[in-house]
Amino acid sequence: MAKKISAPLERTARLLDLVPYISSHQGISLKELAHVFKVDQAQMTSDLTTLWMCGLPGYTPLELMDLDFESGFVTIHNAETLSKPRSISFDEGVALVLGLDLLRSAISSERTDLLERIDLLSQRLAGLIKLPSALSATSLINQEVSAAISEAMRSKMGLQITYHSLYRDEVSTRVIFPIEMVERDGHLYLSSYCYSAADFREFRIDRIQSAALHAVLQEIPKSSTQPSRFTATIKVLDPTRAIAERFNQSELPVNSEFDFETFSIQWMERSIMASGRAVCLQSPPEVRKSISVMAQSMLDRYKAR
Amino acid sequence: MLTVSRKSERLVNLTIALLATKRYLTKTEIFNSVDGYEGTAETKERMFERDKDDLRSLGIEIEVGSFDPLFNDEAGYKIKQEKYQFELGDISSTEVALLSLAAEAWQEASFGDVAQSALLKLRSIGIPSDELSIPVSVHKLNDGGQDLSLITKAIAQSQLLTFSYLDSSLSIEMRSVVPIALSTRNGLWYLSGVDQEIQEIRTFRIDRVSSEITASKGPSDFESPTGFDPRKALFESPTHDFALIDVRVGKAASLRALAVSAQSLGEWDQVKIPILNLDSLCSLVLWHGPDAFVQKPAELRELVIDHLESLVKNHG
Repeated sequence: MAKKISAPLERTARLLDLVPYISSHQGISLKELAHVFKVDQAQMTSDLTTLWMCGLPGYTPLELMDLDFESGFVTIHNAETLSKPRSISFDEGVALVLGLDLLRSAISSERTDLLERIDLLSQRLAGLIKLPSALSATSLINQEVSAAISEAMRSKMGLQITYHSLYRDEVSTRVIFPIEMVERDGHLYLSSYCYSAADFREFRIDRIQSAALHAVLQEIPKSSTQPSRFTATIKVLDPTRAIAERFNQSELPVNSEFDFETFSIQWMERSIMASGRAVCLQSPPEVRKSISVMAQSMLDRYKAR
Repeated sequence: MLTVSRKSERLVNLTIALLATKRYLTKTEIFNSVDGYEGTAETKERMFERDKDDLRSLGIEIEVGSFDPLFNDEAGYKIKQEKYQFELGDISSTEVALLSLAAEAWQEASFGDVAQSALLKLRSIGIPSDELSIPVSVHKLNDGGQDLSLITKAIAQSQLLTFSYLDSSLSIEMRSVVPIALSTRNGLWYLSGVDQEIQEIRTFRIDRVSSEITASKGPSDFESPTGFDPRKALFESPTHDFALIDVRVGKAASLRALAVSAQSLGEWDQVKIPILNLDSLCSLVLWHGPDAFVQKPAELRELVIDHLESLVKNHG
């Protein structure tokens, strides 16, 4: 979080920043200026009045800033001393360097012209705030996919996607109607109506391999049911962070049990398998059975050699 | 409100006077010429000291100098234009556009306020931004409630950061780290630094920090390791150990995604995967059940077999 500064200082900063902004936006309306600086119009008028009385020592009309805003549109002259924007703060520099790095990860590698400029800007900024080049930001989401999603949501269109489902471990092609993007546990999900499943589904955006706009019936069937849910009872044998994060548990005392709800039997099976000796599934019994059969057949294969 | 206004007005006038002057101004000159210094000599003196501190907290540095270094003159003050101004050198509208997109990448209500004020300064340079020329859709950056400022300052000054961390065996331990890099990937934040206990570089996921992070003075003999690239540390394998795993054709896509090479064996493909962490690779192999089979190394095979035996015993 940025350090909070007191009201008079906040105002001083705003007054200093107003001068270069007006200088480069001569004739801007009072209303827009207030909006840009996130204050109401009364405060902006008061700020401009204060600024109008500022200037070089002597404070004769010649030395004061020549500020005109009575018409509702703002112009400034005789303000050369303050007409350049203030140097950026350390935090502002950090925000820009990280933002540039994220931008780099989203720009096609063919645009070497842009990538080189990003590197140069980033070095110059790091130099200004005296920060070693130690910041990095990346988003591994396919740009064409995210562009198609934004376009579909903007124009209320459907999408045809190819999706890698980790639960089923297969790549499928589906037609969906995107509803909203949600972020959870560091991943972005696209909440959608899936015409292929005739139900609402969430898709992890980094697992969508391709997406193209697709015309769909905009009506989503009202009768679609909630996906059926299964409850598993899981016993903790060997608590690890991987288990806590997989099952979303904050505390895992040895030999305790917890219930876990999921909409996919496959997810449940795979999660228990992946947890190995750390947990034991108590119920449902049919999933217990299939885990022991699967583990035994895999074991037989390893032992056969 | 009046006092607020008077104070801001005085600070703006002081800034203008100290910026416009070519030579250093003495305190007497400042008190006589800058509007707003009133009262006894002592009051003015106190006001001026406060004002200097206040301007410094806004990032405006007042230089102290003397007229003639040979004589013990009264000290003078000025603000250097080149330090006051945002100096990015010659800058094109494409570059302004890149910087604007960088600032706009921040989600509101996080580091977003800071990014907004940077954006305002960019817009004040007076060079139009040509954002439409950049073919990109940028994802949002979110600080996730982390104190990025504390961490980045600690990187710049090689301070020591102390925090408690949830390790992989689910126990909480105190860590003391001199940070060298901060990275974010798909919304999660990572801090890399030299762990003081083992004197090796470690990377921590910041949402696994279970306490406040406190900063203190770092070791005086600290030398930042050279050649450390946070991107590589997170995304590339520093290892020379590889596993050979058979995966069924059309299956186990998440194991394939980790492979550095693959070879077709008919119904199966054999993939070569760098081993970063034996336990997590074992877990991923188990996740894929009968669609994945470890050929090498023996260490990974034994671990998988060990877990399978427990699974059979616990669920039989």
